[in-house]
Amino acid sequence: MVTNLKFWTIARHEYISRVKTKGFIISTILGPVFLLALVLIPAIVAALSIDKTEMTIAIVDRTTYGIGKEIVKAQPDKFWITKNSPAELNETILDGKLDAYLVLNNELVKDNKVEVYSKGGGGIGFIALIEKYVGGAITRHNLIQAGVDTATINLLEKNIKIETKKITEEGIQKDYAEFYSIFGYVMGFIVYIMLFMYGAMVMRGVIEEKANRIVEILVSSAKPFDIMFGKIVGIGSVGLTQILIWVVFLFLLTLLLPSVVGMFQNPENLQKISTASQQIGAIDKFEIPPIPIGLLIAFVGYFLLGYFLFSTLFAGIGASVDQEQDAQYISTPVYLPLVIPILFVTNVMANPDGLFATIMSLVPFFSPILMTVRISATTVPIWQIILSFMLMLLTFWGCIWISAKIYRVGILIYGKKPNFREILRWLKQA
Amino acid sequence: MQKVFSKRFKYEFCNKNVINFVIWLYIVYIFLKKVVEMITLSIRNVHKKFGKVSAVRNLSFDVEQGKIFGILGPNGAGKTTTIRMIAGVIYPDEGQISVLGSNNISEVQNRIGYLPEERGLYKKLKVSDQLVYFAELKGLDSKLAFERARYWLKLLDAENWLNKKIQELSKGMQQKIQFVATILHNPELLILDEPFSGFDPINVETFKQVISDLKKEGKTILLSTHIMEQAEQLCDDVCLINYGAVVLQGSLRDVKARSGRDTIVCEFSGNGEFLNKLQNVKIISMSENRVELRFDKGFNHKEFIKGMVNNLDVSKIELSEPSLREIFIDEVTKMRENNGN
Repeated sequence: MVTNLKFWTIARHEYISRVKTKGFIISTILGPVFLLALVLIPAIVAALSIDKTEMTIAIVDRTTYGIGKEIVKAQPDKFWITKNSPAELNETILDGKLDAYLVLNNELVKDNKVEVYSKGGGGIGFIALIEKYVGGAITRHNLIQAGVDTATINLLEKNIKIETKKITEEGIQKDYAEFYSIFGYVMGFIVYIMLFMYGAMVMRGVIEEKANRIVEILVSSAKPFDIMFGKIVGIGSVGLTQILIWVVFLFLLTLLLPSVVGMFQNPENLQKISTASQQIGAIDKFEIPPIPIGLLIAFVGYFLLGYFLFSTLFAGIGASVDQEQDAQYISTPVYLPLVIPILFVTNVMANPDGLFATIMSLVPFFSPILMTVRISATTVPIWQIILSFMLMLLTFWGCIWISAKIYRVGILIYGKKPNFREILRWLKQA
Repeated sequence: MQKVFSKRFKYEFCNKNVINFVIWLYIVYIFLKKVVEMITLSIRNVHKKFGKVSAVRNLSFDVEQGKIFGILGPNGAGKTTTIRMIAGVIYPDEGQISVLGSNNISEVQNRIGYLPEERGLYKKLKVSDQLVYFAELKGLDSKLAFERARYWLKLLDAENWLNKKIQELSKGMQQKIQFVATILHNPELLILDEPFSGFDPINVETFKQVISDLKKEGKTILLSTHIMEQAEQLCDDVCLINYGAVVLQGSLRDVKARSGRDTIVCEFSGNGEFLNKLQNVKIISMSENRVELRFDKGFNHKEFIKGMVNNLDVSKIELSEPSLREIFIDEVTKMRENNGN
């Protein structure tokens, strides 16, 4: 009972002293902003890059049927027809007065080829521009040559719209598969960042106490296990608080969303972005469907278990070194299983029901991230969720057993750069 | 029949011998209890090794309740190891340590105050939060802890530090905070590892006063130091350790008496150069008008006093005990020589 009391004193101290800091408040507010930026900025940048490519392209049209005119008609800002010879154009490019020119003739068109001359580079937007307008015109011309009528061509050029439906017990509903897999990806990424952040926080906390010799006073006041686990629980509660704030915020957002979206639909800029993203092949209409509560609960659950799993290991690492720089080498075996699942996320997203995804998501150290992704992207059988929880709990039990031993011995040893053999010796000794 | 029984019963239990025996037993019990209670800390045959190095070898001593006990010894003698074992930070490989009547230190942690040799505080924490946290870890209620923190800081002229962060304080100030953290929960046993290191002379005096006040309150204090003058001023009992084993042990008076009255202190005016020519004498310190010296067996008192009176204007000649410092240096060099051989 006495030790329990001390455990809670330590946990409460860790919690309060961290929640009060500016760092926590700032990261809670800026976290979602940062994340949103992380997701949106690449899309916006990619979308804008087509329009934003400031290159103008001269067309040397040597076809007998004047395909160049059609291209210029479709995009007069970017293309124009020149009568100059390539040799002259080469010089203007070198002078910097022209960005690029392309040569079209009957044979190239027949072979579905375009030759583009520039100073080099130009970026994705440049290539996409040519592909879309020049390539489009060539394809169209070739189709007409093959005897296809214009109505058919128009039909072909239309994008196919896939509307997915999901069969549930309540009947057939609209399925937002695309949204949910992206949402799952974002959630998995949040779990990853949080595990990283809070695991490292535990490690740094332990190192601080060791380096500042605070630990001697702590050890003379409480049991080492209570000190370690109190710290883990206290810092974990900080993470949980942050996540709960976000979850509540997200929940409120989905309630308020219709009006929020209405507000955003007005500005022309946003319209431009969405049309631009259509051009590059991104999601054409981004609707935000309701986010099921079960998903959020699973998200919180996997974060918590994952946190306990990794932070106990981080605590053990922290106790075995004197200063943060020394931790780099020895913490690799902990960072590795944290980073690896991120490499698999795209595979899992592509086929969330597949054997690879199932097995990988059941590996205890990978579960927090991969299961979150899978649960969002598909309907994971409940036995797999339970199994993954059991496996994680079992692993956690093993981790805390090892870490507590390392902690108890390591926390009072100074001046030794530990290696794995040394730590193994501590395990035997404790 | 009943009457006979009751009579007999009366007889048996009113027998004076029986009563005396019971009273005697009770007295013995009280006495033994007192003796046990008087010993706050008892260390028996304690060994501690770090790898292959023996830090403490077969160490035994008792600390009585209400006394100031000094662990003395040169650097690396095993003082800190001993103290850490008593504080429950590390555990002995062999032997027994009993603190406040318990063999399990974690049971009595709340009644011990420990000031480690290397001080440690959370740099980013406010002084008040720091003090309250450490006191709470010792089982004190947070409100009470805050009140006491304020009381102590006021006593040490540091009340306006309460809301400062540790990293804003100077080293000496942090030392003060650390000391306050050690005594805030009103411990019965104080374990102070080099309590005065890092203090300026004024603060040393302040904390000497605090320590003797705590002693007056009945607290038991165990401190380690290598500054003998401090030990001499503060300690009731001392234990000199070297190479992890006890060299000398006992009350300060006993330890001094044991080494004999072989020191002479003279105050004089005049030219004291002839003192250097004396035989069988070792000069410990000599200034313009004061000399402290120790003599060997072949020393002739009469000749010495004659010489002093003839050559100098003597105001004082005193035969006294050697200082703790002298005893310390003697013992340690003796051991080194033995080890060398």
